[in-house]
Amino acid sequence: MTDREETPPPSGKEPDQRAPVGPYPPTEAMLAEPVDPALSAAQTARLKKAWETPKGWRYWSAVNNTEVGVWYSLTALCFMLLAGLMALLIRLQLAVPENDLVSADRFNQLFTMHGSAMMFLFAVPIFEAISILILPALLGARDMPFPRLSAFGYWCFLIGGIFVISSIFFDIAPRAGWFMYPPLATEDPGPGSDIWLLGLSFIEVASIAAAVELIVGSLKCRPPGMRVNIMPLYAWYVMVVGGMILFAFPPLIAGDFLFELERSLDWPFFDPTRGGDPMLWQHLFWIFGHPEVYIVFLPSIAIAAMVVPTVARRPILGYSWIVLSAVGTGFLSFGLWVHHMFTTGLPNISLGFFSAASQAVVIPTGIQIFAFLATLMVGRVKVNLPMLWIAGGLAIFTAGGLTGVMLAIAPFDFQAHDSYFVVAHLHYTLFGGMVFPIIAGVYYFFPFIRKKMLSEKLGKWAFWLIFIGFNMTFLPMHLTGLLGMPRRIYAYPGGLGWDWLNMLSTVASFVIAAGFAVFVFDLIRPKTKQPQIPRNPWGGGTLEWSHDVPEEAWGVRSIPHITSRYPLWDQPKLVERMDAGRYYLPDASEETRETIITSVIDAEPLYIQTVTGPTWKTLWAAGFTGGCFIFPTFGFYEPAVACGIIAACFIIWWLWSDTAWPPKEEMKDAGLGLRLPTYASGPKSVGWWAMWITMLGDATAFSSVIFGFFFYWTAKEDFPPEGAAGPTGWLVLLAVVGILAGWALSLLARNRNRAGDLSTTRIALGVAAVATAIGGASLVFSVLHLDGKEHVYPAVMSAITIWIVAHAAVAVVMQLYCLAGSVFGKMTPRHDADIWNVTLFLHFHAISVLVAGGVMGLAPMVLS
Amino acid sequence: MTEERQPRRDEERAEFREEAESLIRITAAPVIWAAHFLVCYCTIAIACEKAGGTDGVRLALILMSVVALASIAWVGFRSFRQWDVTNTGDFSNPEGEAEDRHQFLGHAAFLLAIISFIGVVYVTMPLVLLRGCT
Repeated sequence: MTDREETPPPSGKEPDQRAPVGPYPPTEAMLAEPVDPALSAAQTARLKKAWETPKGWRYWSAVNNTEVGVWYSLTALCFMLLAGLMALLIRLQLAVPENDLVSADRFNQLFTMHGSAMMFLFAVPIFEAISILILPALLGARDMPFPRLSAFGYWCFLIGGIFVISSIFFDIAPRAGWFMYPPLATEDPGPGSDIWLLGLSFIEVASIAAAVELIVGSLKCRPPGMRVNIMPLYAWYVMVVGGMILFAFPPLIAGDFLFELERSLDWPFFDPTRGGDPMLWQHLFWIFGHPEVYIVFLPSIAIAAMVVPTVARRPILGYSWIVLSAVGTGFLSFGLWVHHMFTTGLPNISLGFFSAASQAVVIPTGIQIFAFLATLMVGRVKVNLPMLWIAGGLAIFTAGGLTGVMLAIAPFDFQAHDSYFVVAHLHYTLFGGMVFPIIAGVYYFFPFIRKKMLSEKLGKWAFWLIFIGFNMTFLPMHLTGLLGMPRRIYAYPGGLGWDWLNMLSTVASFVIAAGFAVFVFDLIRPKTKQPQIPRNPWGGGTLEWSHDVPEEAWGVRSIPHITSRYPLWDQPKLVERMDAGRYYLPDASEETRETIITSVIDAEPLYIQTVTGPTWKTLWAAGFTGGCFIFPTFGFYEPAVACGIIAACFIIWWLWSDTAWPPKEEMKDAGLGLRLPTYASGPKSVGWWAMWITMLGDATAFSSVIFGFFFYWTAKEDFPPEGAAGPTGWLVLLAVVGILAGWALSLLARNRNRAGDLSTTRIALGVAAVATAIGGASLVFSVLHLDGKEHVYPAVMSAITIWIVAHAAVAVVMQLYCLAGSVFGKMTPRHDADIWNVTLFLHFHAISVLVAGGVMGLAPMVLS
Repeated sequence: MTEERQPRRDEERAEFREEAESLIRITAAPVIWAAHFLVCYCTIAIACEKAGGTDGVRLALILMSVVALASIAWVGFRSFRQWDVTNTGDFSNPEGEAEDRHQFLGHAAFLLAIISFIGVVYVTMPLVLLRGCT
């Protein structure tokens, strides 16, 4: 084994030769052997040191999931409360006919911000927040694989969120509705639409960062032995939802990209007078928007999947069925987007497809609810506060689901479209499918998060106030809608039968608010007098209830070997042995943070990953990234570019200084006689998976831009327009050749590096960077003579160019990064994670440049 | 375990290793649903905009639906075999063993095949029942 460690393998084909040594899985005899108490105490001290949370003002440099998760959740809660206050203002304005409490313009800002903030600043981020907070504990991991990425995502979210939501105080908030339909939104004067676009794009980037983190976390950071068929259902949902984020958010990012080009450069993507089409935005928005409903629903129902077995005091019934419904809903939810566009005049057969898919998605959604009910029926139910909220949520969600089935029928939708019936429906689904289960989760996980209990009495008050208030607010809206009241109107005449219904809704909305006040008070009231809680207050069976009371920052004392879906119920001595340090990674020999990385399907231990600790770099990087998005809102482009460059420098510094350096020791004791490698590259490493997942999202965004091109072709008679100038053919060809050469040379460099041929590696990387740069520059010159303002055709060509060139610039930086790594000893023949990740990026880049070359060079000839 | 079953278990062991490569396999049936959906939607959109009618493509799409349904049925059948419930009588596969994981993935893929089958039938119905573009 040691011999093989020293000599590098002959070719770059084999990603990794390092392998674990020692017995696995552990036998009962090995586990039964006691740990020397003195050794255990010394290990505990070292672990404490490694995982210590920074104190004083340095606290804010923490990156540990327990800190970041709490900040994330509280920030999302604050945004939700602000958006709730906006809802109260909306209701006050609508309480009586012809009210003049707020102006029409202010009202538009209020409902736009209410929707946008609830969706982008609460619903999606709270999933990330809660998952970052509890997922490592569910998996018995010490932390997420990329804690600094979580922290970066959080700071981006905070900065972007404050920027977007505070615009309402300056009377410059977006006001074209939360889905920003052009031409209303594109033509809207003032910075409102730009604030929406840039601010939320910035937050979408944070969402994708969190998705990457969570997918890799649930695939690679499970404890040894936790195969896919026994992992907690929450992890299944996280994986499905993470995957959905990767395919749902990028179309919106692509849409934002085109939208902002129209706003700032006047390129007419959505302007029909110059060949554009506002429908393209609707498609891109709803390809995001409908899956997004399930992106917020599934993680919340995942909380129910954790609470229900605990309450029923038995394993969940129909585990496979719930996996089916999560995965099935994940897929089907992408076939629903046009049901938001039933009234836009699409062919009736197309409407039929989407109506049919909207009916089909009911099946998997229903299955999971029936699985919960079945578990409760056969279990010995002990109703507690979390269960009360889950039950309320399921009742409300079912009602919302039924009106959803009604609205999915196109002819009914023609009648109810844009009326208060839709408002009632969407609030029923979101409150029942998301708000109630999330609050259930807060009650359920609070003892885990804060090591205190929330009040039973206040919890019941909050529940009944919100439950009754909710139904009194939104049930009448079905009727208001059927009586013809449209959405988004700031005033209405009296005497149409709407008056008392609106008054009822308004009064009841304050009952909801009272309920939230009780809930929030319970959450934040000091609980110092409360006695120490028991370790597993609900009697749950999953790993998070092995947590340390009082709190320790290390996640788990030692990482257990898991053989059951409910280890705390089925593996009797588990917690005791975990605490004693009997299991894996009981020590931090170098006082650094580490966790175990396991294989995707069977969770066999692969290697020990060093986890990065507290830093200010992520905060700086997020701050400057924020500047890069915020300055353009007000037309300050130079500072934006400067911020972008500085942010990139911080990110490179962060990666360079702390990731993928050759370890001090190649192999380390992981406990129970197992020795594990401390370095991995290629598909074994978490970094490679993160790159793969990120690039999947990136490729989806690029496909959406390309979709735009073909959309114009189908929707327009003259696209590409007769005789229009296109990109210069030979320059496009040169670009494709240059970038492909950069790709091929980088692959060569990866192979030669593995073979120990450092000089060829470095030359190849240097030349690759030059070739990629030449390729990118040629593409710029190929479209320089086109005027994007003239027509959508040159505009779309230039947009594709911007996309490819931006990626080529990243590719050049990456190639030079590897070159520098090779020169300064960060990248060696045996330690080549960086170049594996870079070549993975370049594979995607090569494919996208081929597609772009085809669309820019060949498609105009073929299509016209 | 009977003597005849012995060789098959070895085969399965080889399969365990294969699937250790990816989770993607259980999504085969929903992927067929998604591809079918996308092709139907794009074809109808292009036919209505460029060809002025759906008469030419409806039959072709319905035939494609039949192919999609057959493929999903085949995926479902294979998954059902992998689940192997008729031999094991184990519906939920809760053990932390390779064989349970193997059968669980079969079960999940089987259920997904059923839902995808229904999905394709639903999406085919407008093709059968409706005609024309407006």
